Amino acid sequence: MRRSILSLSILALIFTSCSDDDSVTTVSSDVEAPASYTFEREGQSTVSFSGQTTRILMGDELNTSLLDNTQTETELLSMFAHQQGDSDFLNNELNASDKNIRSKTAASRDFFFTNSTASNAIKTQFETWISEQVNEIFTAWDDTAAEGVAGQIQEAGGGSIRYVNAKGLEYNQAIIKGLIGALMTDQMLNNYLSPAVLDQADNIANNDNDITEEGKNYTTMEHKWDEAFGYLYGTDNPTNPQLNQDSFLNKYLSRVENDEDFAGIAQEIYDAFKLGRAAIVAKEYELRDQQAELIKEKVSEIIGIRSVYYLQQGKNFLANDKGAAFHDLSEGFGFIYSLKFTRQPNSDSPYFTANEVDTMLTSLLEGNGFWDVSEQTLDDFSDQIAARFNFTVEQAAD
Amino acid sequence: MKRILITFFSVCLLLSCSSDDGGTDINNNPTDGFDRQAMLTNWADNIIIPVYSDLNAKLGNIVNAKTNFIDHPTQAKLDNLRMAWQEAYKVWQHAEMFNVGLAESTNYIFQMNVYPTNVNDIESNIQSQNYDLGSVNNNDAVGFPAVEYMLYGLAETDSEILSFYTSSTNADNYKTYLSDLADRMKTLTQSLLDDWNNGFRDSFVANTENSATGSINLMVNDYIFYYEKGFRANKFGIPAGNFSPNPLPDRVEAFYKTDFSKTLALEGIDAIQNFFNGRAYNSSADAEGLKDYLDFLNTIKEGEDLSSLINNQFDEARQKINTLNESFAHQVETSNVAMTETFDVIQLAVVLLKVDMLQALDISVDFVDADGD
Repeated sequence: MRRSILSLSILALIFTSCSDDDSVTTVSSDVEAPASYTFEREGQSTVSFSGQTTRILMGDELNTSLLDNTQTETELLSMFAHQQGDSDFLNNELNASDKNIRSKTAASRDFFFTNSTASNAIKTQFETWISEQVNEIFTAWDDTAAEGVAGQIQEAGGGSIRYVNAKGLEYNQAIIKGLIGALMTDQMLNNYLSPAVLDQADNIANNDNDITEEGKNYTTMEHKWDEAFGYLYGTDNPTNPQLNQDSFLNKYLSRVENDEDFAGIAQEIYDAFKLGRAAIVAKEYELRDQQAELIKEKVSEIIGIRSVYYLQQGKNFLANDKGAAFHDLSEGFGFIYSLKFTRQPNSDSPYFTANEVDTMLTSLLEGNGFWDVSEQTLDDFSDQIAARFNFTVEQAAD
Repeated sequence: MKRILITFFSVCLLLSCSSDDGGTDINNNPTDGFDRQAMLTNWADNIIIPVYSDLNAKLGNIVNAKTNFIDHPTQAKLDNLRMAWQEAYKVWQHAEMFNVGLAESTNYIFQMNVYPTNVNDIESNIQSQNYDLGSVNNNDAVGFPAVEYMLYGLAETDSEILSFYTSSTNADNYKTYLSDLADRMKTLTQSLLDDWNNGFRDSFVANTENSATGSINLMVNDYIFYYEKGFRANKFGIPAGNFSPNPLPDRVEAFYKTDFSKTLALEGIDAIQNFFNGRAYNSSADAEGLKDYLDFLNTIKEGEDLSSLINNQFDEARQKINTLNESFAHQVETSNVAMTETFDVIQLAVVLLKVDMLQALDISVDFVDADGD
């Protein structure tokens, strides 16, 4: 039985071509999404994404520790590349976990399966930033930052103190905002929502026949979808998301939702996750993939919007408040880095290629970096980014 | 047998669309018209049995050279034994992909080529003189890597190495362990060869059905598993650090012989390509193989014959391997990017083999990839 079903799907692959790949459209379907992300088999929930929750929590602790100047380079690097049983975190459940951030950084099926060289380079980039946070920032903790000099810089009006490198960049922002792309977005859009993962091996045949994983009550395909969901809602209430529950995608979905130009995006994404999961239960894979494409578009948009937002905020402060400007530009730097992990719907491509991203970032750090970046450059990059998405600089800027 | 392959990325079906509307019942193996028995016969008679025969003969040379050496250890005899080891290890590269029959049930591969070899276990065996080389605990203290340690790894210089077999207080123990290692490899391989020659060959060739236990299904799964694990991961990915936070140059194959890693890897890619094409081990004769099966099914991917795409990818992998240092440990330590780039070129064929070829042949994967979540 399983074999013949597999044969049919193979036949479909060999002898039919895809006709539904041109735009995000909806097909008529009888599948109804439940009111919340709740799915059960024989009265038991089939939703599981604990691995994603774990990695988000590890990232949250790393985020805090990156601004604790008593941490050593080894301690911070160990939080990034945690080994099961090592006491790297305050939370002992995290210490006991066999998960870590590093192994899932730049590790998606679609983008890195045949490119371990690029994957390794990205992992190394994060490690380099972590090391530099200790070796350049912690060592200059009480120094005053200046052009070409690392140290602290306070936002105007007695505001927050920011710790920047010689070019004005906060490495902690580059790391955390960069992980939004390299970890959460890459895993979600380019791995778990990819047909290459959802339909891996016998997943379709097993899902068609409700053959669940050994010792579990979910099918592999259901679980893969939940894992995508978990990278956004892993520390939130999955049946009634509150948003702003982590330092990563969940937080910035909240930020974008709270911009009236984009209000409704949170519901759109949540609904797409619900309907896609219901489609898997109903074995309607075309409907599933349409929801996946919608999520790719909207989640990518979060990163695009926040990139432009911070470039524009940075520009506004640049003349009179370097501290605030550098903080915004540092966040923007991390979001722009994340653009290379976005995914244009119905394509194999990110919204910005790695080369395009690296060109922008190199330009931002040229010379004395944020100390002498021009407002024109910030506007140019804002325009470039907005133009490729479905929003304007003005919409994103506030 | 359930195997788990931990991959850096999960390996999957590359479906570009997911509609699985019904359809006519074509390609219903094994009635697709391809002469499956001819392919199995070619595999058995022209590849597998000749490989095992050659390996058995080369291991016989090791046993003889070893006997000669321990009788009166000299530099010349050590050199002679080392040459025998090298020749046999090259043949081994053609044998590691076959994991059916007695090879599977005796965990033959685990007894022949687990590296890095465990020096502590070896030394403790040598000291205690109380060991069962067939024990699972000794999988990393036997086989080619263990012999390599005994011939190249005991000390820095040859004269120091020789002294372990001459002047050392434990010289007899070292000689015994070396002798036992060589004998064990020979005995295992002889049994395997005998099994193939006394019945297994016939049942292997006769089992043409497309089921989880069909010979083609088993061999193809072994082949792809070897390509991913024994070849791609063990020789390249693991030392390059693709599965760990840092590169691990001490995990290379031929760590003690050092300048031998590339030679072995090149033998490996030749063996992989020859098997794919159904090319005989002892001649350039070319009969039914996976290439022919795919061509028979007229398997096209993006306008090209899948078999050509696969062969091109193997060629690219060979070219890339050729650019590496003879010592993979040295390569990892000096320019690891070349190593990961080689891994990536090899990886491209995984997609072609594991997704496209398996779809065309209607074969299910019998080992799973764990992505760690």
